[in-house]
Amino acid sequence: MDEQIRDAFGRLHAGAELKEYTRASLDRARRGRRRPVAYLAAAAACLVLLLVGLGGYRFYMTPTTVLSIDINPSLELGINRFDKVVTVQAWNEDGQALADSLELKFLDYQDALERLVASQSIADRLAAGELLSITVAGEDEIQCGRLLAGAEACTAGQENVQCHHGDEEELEEAHHAGLSLGKYRAFLELQALDPTVTAEDVAGLTMRQIMDWIAALESGAATAGESPTGNRAGNAAGQGNSQGGHGHHHGWSEHE
Amino acid sequence: MRSEEETNQAIERYGDTVRRLCMIHLKNEADTQDIFQTVFLKYLLHDKPFESREHEKAWFIRVTLNACKDLLRSFFRRCTVPLEELTGQADQLTDQAREVLRSVLELPRKEREVVYLHYYEGYTAPEISQLLGKNVNTIYTNLARARAHLKQLLGGEDHG
Repeated sequence: MDEQIRDAFGRLHAGAELKEYTRASLDRARRGRRRPVAYLAAAAACLVLLLVGLGGYRFYMTPTTVLSIDINPSLELGINRFDKVVTVQAWNEDGQALADSLELKFLDYQDALERLVASQSIADRLAAGELLSITVAGEDEIQCGRLLAGAEACTAGQENVQCHHGDEEELEEAHHAGLSLGKYRAFLELQALDPTVTAEDVAGLTMRQIMDWIAALESGAATAGESPTGNRAGNAAGQGNSQGGHGHHHGWSEHE
Repeated sequence: MRSEEETNQAIERYGDTVRRLCMIHLKNEADTQDIFQTVFLKYLLHDKPFESREHEKAWFIRVTLNACKDLLRSFFRRCTVPLEELTGQADQLTDQAREVLRSVLELPRKEREVVYLHYYEGYTAPEISQLLGKNVNTIYTNLARARAHLKQLLGGEDHG
């Protein structure tokens, strides 16, 4: 009897279908239990991608150096670490009009400078003998040096263009005074000669007017103590430049 | 949670045992399928290691019997079906095997369990008592009764 019972039970097996069905249901159970982890992992990956994306965007969009462009339109181009223009800030109405008329964002800084110098607004002023000042300032000295050299190379054919090197601190002070960096540096130069001059006095002047005013003060043509107005400066500049090497005379009132 | 490899190995190693235990308790194939899945699902989620292969096998037997009993207690028991459908393997059974299984299924549940565990799996009465958590004397009694019943059912001497 023992043998018969063993034989009878021995003929019973778990069928392939039953095993397969069970394997499939175990798979489903396994996946079902893992899903929360998978969702969590996917969500974490999305978050990481988002943060990397935002970080990358921020990294790209943060200006590391500022190019201050002043003639009378005053504007500042924020240049990122890849030498691309990422911000354009106008410091007066002419600057705003110029910024609006040109698409400078995301251009290489040299292309942007070329576009600016070639623009009607600046080309006309340069032709009329106005002075274009390009000031480079930023934390990264190497980039500043590179950009300054690039700006100089870019404007090499223009005699009325001056390129300068500024610094971060000056840039901050300039913005505090409501001036672009280039104009602020000129203002400081002027103020050294005439301490009564205020930032408001120079805000509306062109770079040429400020430079002429400085030249006039240096040559002693201007009388100290006179009212520090544009009119006074205009007179001084007029006197200083009417016969100047640039061969032109212009009233700044026509540019204001 | 156990790996796919572990559960696949367990299905191959203990599938037949689970299947046979289901057969002696359950009345139809659908219930067998349910219990089969339930047992291996429990194994999937059973993280504690087993001391030995024997320990693991005893775990499968205990879990299967408990699952069968739970199902039998349930209100939603399915109807009884013929042996051929119950085993699902009618063509592999000889007349004699079919007769033996039919006789085993006619035994009371307690006797069916011990018959299978003793005659097929080879467990001794003390081992069965430990496995099922019952008094060893009860197991001896169940075994003796089962043997007597089967002799009666299978026609005495010829099958002894």
